Amino acid sequence: MRKLDLVYTRLRTEERMLLDALRKRDCVVGLHQDADLVLSLDRKPWTDSQLVLMRSMSFTRSRYLAAMMEVKGSRVVNGSRAITTCGDKVQTTLALAASDLPLPWAFVGFEEDACVSEITRRGFPVVMKPVVGSWGRMVARLDSPSAAEGLLSMRFGTGSAQDHVALVQQYIDKPGHDLRVYVVGSAIGGIRRRSEHWITNTARGATAERYEVPASHAKLAEQAAAAVGGEIVAVDLLETRGGDILVNEVNHCVEFARSIEVSGIPIPEHIADYVLGVLS
Amino acid sequence: MQPQAQSGTVGINQCPLCIMEIKGDDRVEGEVLTCDGCSAELEVVGVSPLRLAEAPEVEEDWGE
Repeated sequence: MRKLDLVYTRLRTEERMLLDALRKRDCVVGLHQDADLVLSLDRKPWTDSQLVLMRSMSFTRSRYLAAMMEVKGSRVVNGSRAITTCGDKVQTTLALAASDLPLPWAFVGFEEDACVSEITRRGFPVVMKPVVGSWGRMVARLDSPSAAEGLLSMRFGTGSAQDHVALVQQYIDKPGHDLRVYVVGSAIGGIRRRSEHWITNTARGATAERYEVPASHAKLAEQAAAAVGGEIVAVDLLETRGGDILVNEVNHCVEFARSIEVSGIPIPEHIADYVLGVLS
Repeated sequence: MQPQAQSGTVGINQCPLCIMEIKGDDRVEGEVLTCDGCSAELEVVGVSPLRLAEAPEVEEDWGE
């Protein structure tokens, strides 16, 4: 009997579907809510299974839990390196840049005046993102010097030292959508996320459409996944009006409940097959 | 909102917001469900007996 452990924060539709897909394959699944786990910092095994499917949606909990479980001998998917990299947009961008993948330009600054000066030199509009965050929260488009001064003043005037980092990215004038390629070991398909708003997260109301992933996009997504050490990831691609494709972000705790019906891609089945393949 | 008291039946309880009856068959602790009565997002905080609470606010570091 095959056995694995599934770690989650909240058992959402995604985790329910994964659980069903695994049980359908005669896999015994140990369920662990991340908030309940208290692990010792040593090499003592914490479970009798070999593999952990990490579905904690908390960046803080998942990266520490994955790291601890790896030291304790578990094979964790996604592993701590992928989580640590993908959960931090600066680290993600650096990993992608180190692999020479096409990206929007981006810079990091630590002080208001220096950032405003650099944005002014590069030209408006630009996008400012929190280094840690998801679902499009606190992502802002800066269209003018006064907007930049206001938002950067807030960035550096509130929060703690770890919040006093400005990640500024090139604004890409998308043709009303972006692209998402799902990688489960290899690229398995994708969706186009369409929105009237410039932010195209489905969590923010963008609608998903089916998207036949061309080989060039699949290859780019697989390269991005490899760059961050991710096995099961969603790679967000930006398409410019000129037709260039840029890698924007890589997501390590893939959500699919809002898009699975449209995309027709049986993502939970792919994930179940992949992790059980890792086990065998 | 605190988890509500259990009802008389182990596998059934009420939405803590609108008291709509909710069945607890095959539920798992931490599972998120939507109340058919008021559309509130609820979290299963106990399964034997079934206990439900209003799902907590999203934490700052939650996401994909």
